[in-house]
Amino acid sequence: MVDKIKIESLSCYYDKKCVLESLNLNIVKNEILGVIGPASSGKTTFLRTLNRMNDFDITYSRKGNVYLDGDNIFDIDAENLRRRVGMLFAMPIPLPMSIYDNITYAPKRLGLVTKKVDLDNMVESVLRDSSLWDEVKDRLAASAMKMSGGQQQRLCIARVLAINPEVILFDEPCLSLDPISISKVEELMVELKKKYTIVLVTNNVKQASRISDRTAFFLMGKLIEVDKTDKIFVSPKEKKTEDYITGRFG
Amino acid sequence: MIKLNPKLSQKFSYMFLCLAAFLATTPVILIVFIIIKNGTSVISWEFLLSMPKDGMRGGGILPAILGTLSIVSCAIMITLPVGVCAAIYLNEYAKDDIFTRIIKLAIINLAGIPSVVYGLFGLGIFVMFLKLGVSIIAGALTLSIMELPVIITTARSSLDSVPYSFREASLSLGVSRWQTIRHVVLPNAIPGILTGTILSIARISGETAPILFTAAAFYVPHLPHSIFDQVMTLPYHLYIISTQIPNMPKNIIYGTALVLLMMVLTMSCIAIFARIYFRKRRKW
Repeated sequence: MVDKIKIESLSCYYDKKCVLESLNLNIVKNEILGVIGPASSGKTTFLRTLNRMNDFDITYSRKGNVYLDGDNIFDIDAENLRRRVGMLFAMPIPLPMSIYDNITYAPKRLGLVTKKVDLDNMVESVLRDSSLWDEVKDRLAASAMKMSGGQQQRLCIARVLAINPEVILFDEPCLSLDPISISKVEELMVELKKKYTIVLVTNNVKQASRISDRTAFFLMGKLIEVDKTDKIFVSPKEKKTEDYITGRFG
Repeated sequence: MIKLNPKLSQKFSYMFLCLAAFLATTPVILIVFIIIKNGTSVISWEFLLSMPKDGMRGGGILPAILGTLSIVSCAIMITLPVGVCAAIYLNEYAKDDIFTRIIKLAIINLAGIPSVVYGLFGLGIFVMFLKLGVSIIAGALTLSIMELPVIITTARSSLDSVPYSFREASLSLGVSRWQTIRHVVLPNAIPGILTGTILSIARISGETAPILFTAAAFYVPHLPHSIFDQVMTLPYHLYIISTQIPNMPKNIIYGTALVLLMMVLTMSCIAIFARIYFRKRRKW
């Protein structure tokens, strides 16, 4: 087991208010780490710190270090970091352009792929990887805004795959989806962990139990417990974890 | 205090509000109606496309039309890039510090300055200090400063109307801020900026005071050759023929007013149609 990400005593603040307190956590390569916890437990802050999307919030500040393959992520260029650590949002956010352009947008801007043939091949391969190809192959030029919610979310996954990241962060990716779309996205995540390391923040405890290899339980900005998913859900060490996953609060 | 029953007071207030709305529209309708009624008789290709004759009592108004068009197009070419860039800076980059607040305050105040003050300012800076003389470029610069706050404000609200989530989606893919603005934010803000610009063109076409000392001439016997020429302009020409020339035929005055009015109304209509068109095409 190789650690992909190593988090050392990370604390995060909004306007001096502490939302995440001295967190120590390792994320193993090619695993799905589920992060569960009630609202305002610091899950999303944690996730958005990993690719520094929080940097745009002027009230945000932090202490501690996060290492990605040994590089301190706060020392490397933020844009470069985000290319290595892709992110999916709770609501699918396709850009207002065609399906094809949504996927080629970032690779073009970043100069990863330039030739038309390579772009075409890349679009096909990421759409296949996100199991969307058969549904959209005949309408790649159609607006992405006209797709269904589930398709949009899978397009967003394809878009992230197109920049070929090492880690993918999922911020409650199934919040707005119907059950069938959810199962498709979940299957996809299990498939994707072969190539990528995945962090999945979810409000849906069952989802974490279904697909994550390890699960971390956050409460009020503190990591209460992290362990193999089977252990967390069968015999958690902490009383609070047990209360939360059995639905006694939260 | 007389106590009205609810039904009666409802009726009264309805009538009162209705009357206010009616009062607001009557002047517009009257102005347009009177000008059209008295002015249409002189409108012809000859009136639009020939030079004035007989001490401006006859002939056409071509130099005034061309003068207004050239000043306004120069002014927009100056104010649009500056205004849009300033709006991008304020909206997308600027931190909310004292410096930014001072800029925002300055922009608001710029919008509150009377237009004749802009005219005198243009006379002092562009005509005399920079020695541009009374010319198209001096008038255009003066108008562009006057229109800057309007352009900045419309550009900012157009940028604001692009959902923040689009920026986030783009940034999360490792795309830089500037590329995000250039490829996601601006293309989606352009419709709003465009309609705002057309309305600005309409507004400054009719301005008289800012160009009074900086660009406008009483009479120029030839068409403008360069941006350093003095020109006749429609609003100023209208002022001259209505007040300075004895025995001026009334229908020419109304005809000139009609041309100016039509120019402005056409611009406004284009802006309205452009807005409808872009709203239909909008993808989110």
